[in-house]
Amino acid sequence: MPVLRFKTERLVRLTGLTIGELQEALFRLKCETELIEDEFEVEINPDRPDMYLGEGIGRAVLGLQGARLGWRKPRTTTTEYSLRVEPPAKRPYIAAAVIYNVNVDEDFLPELIQFQEKLHDTIGRRRKKVAIGFHDLEKLPSTSLKYTSVKTSEEMKPLEHGEKMTIGEILRTTPQGEKYGTLSLDSRDNSHPALYSGDEIIAIPPVINSDITRMEPGTRDLFVDVTGTDLQTVLKVLDIIASNLAERPGVYIGMVKVVNADDNSILHTPVLKFEKLTLKSDYVNSTLGLSLRPPDIKNALERMLYNVEMSGADLHVEVPPFRADVLGGIDLVEDIAMAIGYEELGFNRPVVTDPGKLMAETRVSRLLRDLAIGLGFTEVAQLTLTSPGLLDLTGYRERVEIANPVQLEYSVLRPSLVPTLLTVAQRNVHASKPVKVFEIGSIVIPGEPPRDEYRIGFLVMDDEVGYEDIQAVIYSILRILDIKFSVREYRHPAFIEGRTAEIIDAKGRHLGIAGEISPEVLEKMEIGYPIAVAELNLEVLAEWKFKTQNPT
Amino acid sequence: MTGGRISVSKSEYDLLKRIIESGIREDYLDAAARKLGISKSTLASLLMLLADKGLVEVEEETREYNYLTDKGRDALRNGLPERRLVETVLRTGGEADIGEIRRVLGGESGIAIGQARKKGYITIESGRVRLVRDPRVVLEELGKLEEVLKAVDRGEDVSVPKELVERGLVRSKREIKRKFKLVHDPKTILDKVVVEYAKLTSSLVSTGEWRRIRLRRYDITAEPPRIYPARKHFLVEFIEMLRDIMKELGFIEVRGPLVEIELFNFDVLFQAQDHPAREIHDTLWIKEPRKADLSAYSDLVERVARIHERGWGYKWNPDIAARLLLRSQTTSVSARILVERPKPPIRFFTLGRVYRSDVVDATHLPEFHQLDGIMGWKGYTFRDLIGLLQEVAKRLGLNLKLKPGYFPFTEPSVEGYVQLPNGRWLELFGAGLFRPEVLEAAGVDYPVGAWGFGVERLAAAVLGISDIRELYTKDVKKIMEFKVRSV
Repeated sequence: MPVLRFKTERLVRLTGLTIGELQEALFRLKCETELIEDEFEVEINPDRPDMYLGEGIGRAVLGLQGARLGWRKPRTTTTEYSLRVEPPAKRPYIAAAVIYNVNVDEDFLPELIQFQEKLHDTIGRRRKKVAIGFHDLEKLPSTSLKYTSVKTSEEMKPLEHGEKMTIGEILRTTPQGEKYGTLSLDSRDNSHPALYSGDEIIAIPPVINSDITRMEPGTRDLFVDVTGTDLQTVLKVLDIIASNLAERPGVYIGMVKVVNADDNSILHTPVLKFEKLTLKSDYVNSTLGLSLRPPDIKNALERMLYNVEMSGADLHVEVPPFRADVLGGIDLVEDIAMAIGYEELGFNRPVVTDPGKLMAETRVSRLLRDLAIGLGFTEVAQLTLTSPGLLDLTGYRERVEIANPVQLEYSVLRPSLVPTLLTVAQRNVHASKPVKVFEIGSIVIPGEPPRDEYRIGFLVMDDEVGYEDIQAVIYSILRILDIKFSVREYRHPAFIEGRTAEIIDAKGRHLGIAGEISPEVLEKMEIGYPIAVAELNLEVLAEWKFKTQNPT
Repeated sequence: MTGGRISVSKSEYDLLKRIIESGIREDYLDAAARKLGISKSTLASLLMLLADKGLVEVEEETREYNYLTDKGRDALRNGLPERRLVETVLRTGGEADIGEIRRVLGGESGIAIGQARKKGYITIESGRVRLVRDPRVVLEELGKLEEVLKAVDRGEDVSVPKELVERGLVRSKREIKRKFKLVHDPKTILDKVVVEYAKLTSSLVSTGEWRRIRLRRYDITAEPPRIYPARKHFLVEFIEMLRDIMKELGFIEVRGPLVEIELFNFDVLFQAQDHPAREIHDTLWIKEPRKADLSAYSDLVERVARIHERGWGYKWNPDIAARLLLRSQTTSVSARILVERPKPPIRFFTLGRVYRSDVVDATHLPEFHQLDGIMGWKGYTFRDLIGLLQEVAKRLGLNLKLKPGYFPFTEPSVEGYVQLPNGRWLELFGAGLFRPEVLEAAGVDYPVGAWGFGVERLAAAVLGISDIRELYTKDVKKIMEFKVRSV
């Protein structure tokens, strides 16, 4: 979840609330907050990118407090700025806006950059889907702009670099180039998107801007470009930026004429689009379990900054352009609940009529657990992820491997409980003997697709221990469970031949194994004691005990 | 019946009895040990115990005694060297060549010649040894010395001529001899004692012997030996308690595969294919096979494609939905249940492992358990869902605080925070009503509430464990010793 930092003093000024009130209000707006010195750390959910800037937080908080109702489109004006688009194949869409009177200062600059970065990381999918460029309007060489593909041999002067470089060099040698250089590079003809103002390249989206239009403290007006791979998201992000900056005093928006060279279609951006929805009071009430009157609903929605017109029990709702998360009526219902306050909604205590039921596997595992404890075995719990080395060592060749493991020790799924039980023995080599443990857990068997299975495994380690010691355990348990079985010789690299049995159920199915661990394995694992283990398929046991007698 | 009598152990009692039977009233320890046929050290330690109880007295006697050295024993066996010299000379008529003497006496010839000359028995001139004293007197004199050696060897207390000590044939030593005697009349002594046992045994009970014995009193405050029971694992017990809570609330337990199709883990749940949770940093995929066959789900796939493309505005890719991963949320099981379109009212829960692409540390594991539940029917509301969350928290003994939340597949969404015994708030639930898009994809026409939470973090908090890895300890003793904590 995105974590942002704001100057506490700025948030207090923007909302007029005390720090405590502010924290409470933000909690009701899905945010967790923490005060760190003179800063406010706020966790904001990815569905509310409009709150990634102090002005957006202030607006939302004032609405929740009832100090603002609905949201009106900010003042816009036409401008000289026009943008011709020759869509680059890898990043065809662009929208732009002029924002007057932003007045970037020392305090606001880092917050604006944070706003840009968090938009990149979330809705922009780490610049892949959307990237944003802020420019000092005064520094733009020309009001005539062009978004096109250029050869990587073209030159520009990247931000924070003194020298002109070729685009190819920028992509290869700058940190931004290394991170984002391949996102929109067209390898077929070695071209890259570029934004021109007159004859100068002022940005190579999504990588870096030019130094010549650098925004800095003292910058009054901004030129904003948003590029991306999805037009609706590009327009939405520009709307969020424009409508958030418009909350600053004196700000108004300049429209940019965007002309698509392919079909000569024209778009004036930012579009500042209000989605329109009709919401029925009944729907709100039947979803939340409340009986709100239309005016109550209207008020709640207006406090969440929607513009609302009532028409009987129906509400015509305008969704302000900065909201990216409203897909339908249900999203308005949540905002209504938030405006009321979740704690104020009340609740219905559950009425239980039908009895619940545990799975047969759960029930049989409970039986087995009690029997195992009675036989003196202590329960262990382990991960299903383990190391390939352990499985190699114990001769378990068939296993499901992780394609993108984080750590080698957790890069395969155990195909049996035996190898991981042996690691328990290994850990307890110096404990007082006998060491008797069992585990009930999942294992994964390779296949198309791989299949997981519940099993129970037993292990005994002692000065002297043999097949009979573990055989006795299995026979005892199976006879108490009244499950018919037979045994036959079994071979496996981890076990001693002639001292290992396969257990077969009455239908001839594999039920499990019991035997002595080979001294070769013991030696490799540096376990200086003999070990006997057994493993039973808990699902076959569950089937015998519960499923056949009591079909679900 | 045993009051007032002196407690003795079984072995102390047996010794007393044997001493009395063999008629000993007092004796040296070594002599008595021989007579009784037991080792001197056993006798000594038992006698010391009996002495502590006032049944015997043990005294020490210090005594000086002489003993033969190795040289002394040689002289005793072969005669003194000067005797052998005198006898050799006598055999050759009172005079002999010194070379002959050396040949006969060998290594002892030096001592023999020296002693014989010192005592004035012989003279040596020009290599000839001549006896100059009356042989009878000489032999008698030597005989007396040899008698002394014999007496010393027998351990008799004789006065030893200085000469024998100076010549290193006899040495003297101080010896401490321990002696004991019975304090009481042997006829009554056994009536004054009672045998004390450490343990009541089967034979004591069955023979009636228990009447004649005394059981030793324990220091009941002393630490006993440490023992540990075979135990259920504390994490498993916690998990089973959660299952019981769900069952009591009328939920039916279900399960789903650990290796899951993305379709159920993400797509049915309206998580866009470019959602960050579906990136390589968050989710674990399997190597082989990479994809599942979706042909069995063609209707579902068609609905999911339509809903994603309408809702998120992108081209939905069935190849991505077909990929096999380790499920990242047990909501995948809820999704599988939902697409079966169960007849309402429904209450299902699942509790199982999920996997994340996390590096192991004190607060992260690559796999952990999640509990997921769904419930719904015609007319089911958000307040019904909150009621259930409140009830679960109540049954866990925890206070619940609600906060609006965000999950891609629920709306309205809610996060439940619970207050732990230490006062800290822990995010417990994620919950909400399934979005209309999810219900539409599944083909369900009634509202469904869904909720889930990670088990390990709660378990660790409730069980007082600060490092989450401890939940999966391989140290069996830690499991056996684990202190019970009640929720």
